Amino acid sequence: MSKYILRRLLMMIPVLLGVTFLVFFIISLTPGDVASMILGNGATQESIIALREEMGLNDPTIVQYGSYMKDLLTGDMGNSYSTGKAVSGEIAQRFPNTLKLTVSAIILSVLISIPIGVISATRQYSLFDNIGMIVALVGISMPSFWVGLILIIAFSLNLGWFPSGGMEGIMSLILPAFTLAIASTASITRTTRSSMLEVVRQDYINTAKAKGVSRSVVIRKHALKNALIPAITVIGLEFGVLLGGAVLTETVFSWPGIGRLMVESIQRKDTPMILGCIIVFAIAFSLVNLLIDILYSFIDPRIKANYK
Amino acid sequence: MSTNVEVLSAEELLKTKKRSQSADIWKRLKRSKTAVLGIILIATFLFMAVAAPLIADYQGEALKMNVRERLQGPSAEHFFGTDEFGRDIFARVVYGTRISLFVGLISVSIALSIGGFLGAVAGYYGGKIDNMIMRVLDVILAVPTILLAITIVASLGANMLNLMIAVGISNIPGFARIVRASVLSVKDQEFIEAAKAIGAKDHVIIMKHVLPNSMAPIIVYATLKVATAIMATASLSFIGLGVQPPTPEWGSMLAGGRAYIRDQMYIVLYPGLAIVLTVLSLNLIGDGLRDALDPKLK
Amino acid sequence: MSENVLDIKDLIIQYHTEEGIVEAVNGININLNRGKTLGLVGETGAGKTTTALSIMRLLQSPPGKVMQGNIALEGKDLLSLTEKELEKVRGGLVSMIFQDPMTALNPVINVGDQIAEAILIHQKVTQDEAKVKAKEMLEMVGIPGARMEEYPHQFSGGMKQRVIIAIALSCSPKLLIADEPTTALDVTIQAQVLELMKELKVKFNMAMIMITHDLGVVAEVCDDVAIMYAGRIVEQGSLEDIFRTTKHPYTEGLFNSIPNIDDRKSDLIPIKGLMSDPYNLPEGCSFCDRCNYAMSICKTQKPEKVHFSDTHFTECHLYSENQEFKLKG
Repeated sequence: MSKYILRRLLMMIPVLLGVTFLVFFIISLTPGDVASMILGNGATQESIIALREEMGLNDPTIVQYGSYMKDLLTGDMGNSYSTGKAVSGEIAQRFPNTLKLTVSAIILSVLISIPIGVISATRQYSLFDNIGMIVALVGISMPSFWVGLILIIAFSLNLGWFPSGGMEGIMSLILPAFTLAIASTASITRTTRSSMLEVVRQDYINTAKAKGVSRSVVIRKHALKNALIPAITVIGLEFGVLLGGAVLTETVFSWPGIGRLMVESIQRKDTPMILGCIIVFAIAFSLVNLLIDILYSFIDPRIKANYK
Repeated sequence: MSTNVEVLSAEELLKTKKRSQSADIWKRLKRSKTAVLGIILIATFLFMAVAAPLIADYQGEALKMNVRERLQGPSAEHFFGTDEFGRDIFARVVYGTRISLFVGLISVSIALSIGGFLGAVAGYYGGKIDNMIMRVLDVILAVPTILLAITIVASLGANMLNLMIAVGISNIPGFARIVRASVLSVKDQEFIEAAKAIGAKDHVIIMKHVLPNSMAPIIVYATLKVATAIMATASLSFIGLGVQPPTPEWGSMLAGGRAYIRDQMYIVLYPGLAIVLTVLSLNLIGDGLRDALDPKLK
Repeated sequence: MSENVLDIKDLIIQYHTEEGIVEAVNGININLNRGKTLGLVGETGAGKTTTALSIMRLLQSPPGKVMQGNIALEGKDLLSLTEKELEKVRGGLVSMIFQDPMTALNPVINVGDQIAEAILIHQKVTQDEAKVKAKEMLEMVGIPGARMEEYPHQFSGGMKQRVIIAIALSCSPKLLIADEPTTALDVTIQAQVLELMKELKVKFNMAMIMITHDLGVVAEVCDDVAIMYAGRIVEQGSLEDIFRTTKHPYTEGLFNSIPNIDDRKSDLIPIKGLMSDPYNLPEGCSFCDRCNYAMSICKTQKPEKVHFSDTHFTECHLYSENQEFKLKG
């Protein structure tokens, strides 16, 4: 098992290398001169040239990439163009906040969606199922930033139950977590339901019934365990969507995470910060997917066998 | 002589079979009430996009700033009220339909053609080519979709073209994967071997035999992806990385109205509803198509 | 009274679907005693599996519906039992083996646990005792007990079927329903599994219903044979009756469809046509269109039962006037 984990971690490295190269390359396409932007309007021509030299901006992209990667290996992500402070420090400070938000959201999603998905499947075509599925469909159709705004209007401005922004105490976590959770809840519910419907049609479910296994045990022990396998894949994918959605939700709720940091950095054209944020996002996403795959192999003995 | 006649009738048979197949699928699609609702909705939006000039005046209502009329609630004159610059929100929503649908369709077309090509090649040839293509796509997939689109637009500059490119590129791996999977499931079937046996060229086989038979999941996927593309457009515009003001776009309208939600919540209500309904209609159609094309549900 | 295990009277089952009503089973009677094996023979769609599922009350309902009839297991009326009582019956009194061994086992639970589960439901034993018994059952079907903790995907098709047999017999049922248990297996494995089933049938003194379309299997295992067509039993008798004095044209057709291994050059004689549309069964005899002996009365009137002996009867107009009529063979 640990060999498998090790192998997967090793496989992550070329992918992450690829990501850093891809993002670095994309950002290098930004028009405009960095040095003059940093120095501002009153800068002299010489100071601009000097700064360019110092920052290595005259080197070809590949060389710039190389030196960035070299620094990255020591944990140095460069300094922010706007504050001059270390990027890694800034990110280290704000990342846990994003984590708090996204983890709360995914836990909330899973707790709601799996029971609803199972019940919908076992009571297919019932009122519960029909309403549930329509609600879920609407849920994946609503943009998170709009939901956030509506929730703020309703529960913060009109009812005054929750603060409309910032990160102070658990009350301020609830609205943003809910906002983030809505789309992923809807998606996971739908997947759980369709996966359960598939599984319930399988022959081994008939075998279980023919043994005299009671209905609730058939659902819980025989069907659910199998149905969770594709559901878990979706949970992993949804986490990725959540990370992206965090950018929007953090903006709406003024939540101090790296999503909002990235948006601010884009507005300030703070390239090292943007790069740093994306890399951290990519690493987080890859780790979550790895976790999901490991979880997979625990549930499905067919996969475990392949990686003994 | 007689063999020619037999071959012809086989072809005829195939054509009639295909015709009745599409009629059959349409019939099954119509059976789903939600899919029909989706079709009606999207048709409405399409109509709004195409016939926009007939419904509202672009210069006069959507763009013209009129500070005296700002922040008025919904009325007979302004169905959805006016925004912070006094512009008619209804007109802006109507014209915003054009942007959303256009960007959605174009970006998915980009993703479908490039991604589909890569996926078909990877699936059909397999081996090293498959490996190489999939690995490159894995890199793109390691970054959450929106974030990649944000990065691309942030770097290239925020305008509609770059928006379409960004959303298109971030959807390429998804299309590549689904086309590859479809191709894989079809290519080992015997009629492909038969085509090869009579010496048909590879690209002919792919275009004429493999792709038409793997269309179903791709069509469903594409429909759903137009929905997410429209969402992405609104999201990017919301954070200022999409269509630039004063062009009316639903996402940027929400961004603009954000400061006024306390007292003028209609500024964010209506554009948001437009997004929800458009995306919902496409999801309904996509779901309906998936059920209609599923042979197991016959 | 304790001799009779299964008594089915006038069973009629229909499927009510969007496209119409499927008349799956149209009035059949089955009477089975301990230790006897009844072969239920017929093509796909004849209603064999539907009948079997209804005995276990496992019919998908909707759309399936038992319209009329009685099913009694050891005298108990099955159709009036509650769900809880049925759970005791399934696996305990009656067991069923399904057609495809490849998909009949839960892929995420090991085989030992799947056998033990049945034991724990029907017998008052501890978890450990159940595990011991499960191991015994595995050995009984010819699988080393040490493989208890392995998962279904680690077994071949034939061995999977043995596991399924072990599960089915773990609680010594009085009746075993085997729905084409060897159809999905290689011929050599088929023989092994059939041998095993014969052995266990004797050992447990069970009654067995063997559903198959393969007359070879019937000859190996069955005491009595019922030939089903379009939801009715068109001929029933002992093995001798059916094989030596075939009466119904359909049965004759089935025998003729078997390739003659002694005369490799002779033509195959298939039964012409296809089984009638179950949404729209004909007015008269359902076999009429495909029958080489069809008469005008066959089109309009359903044939009555004609008895040749205590054990042997058929439903065919050919014999209603003349009991001595002989098929061409």
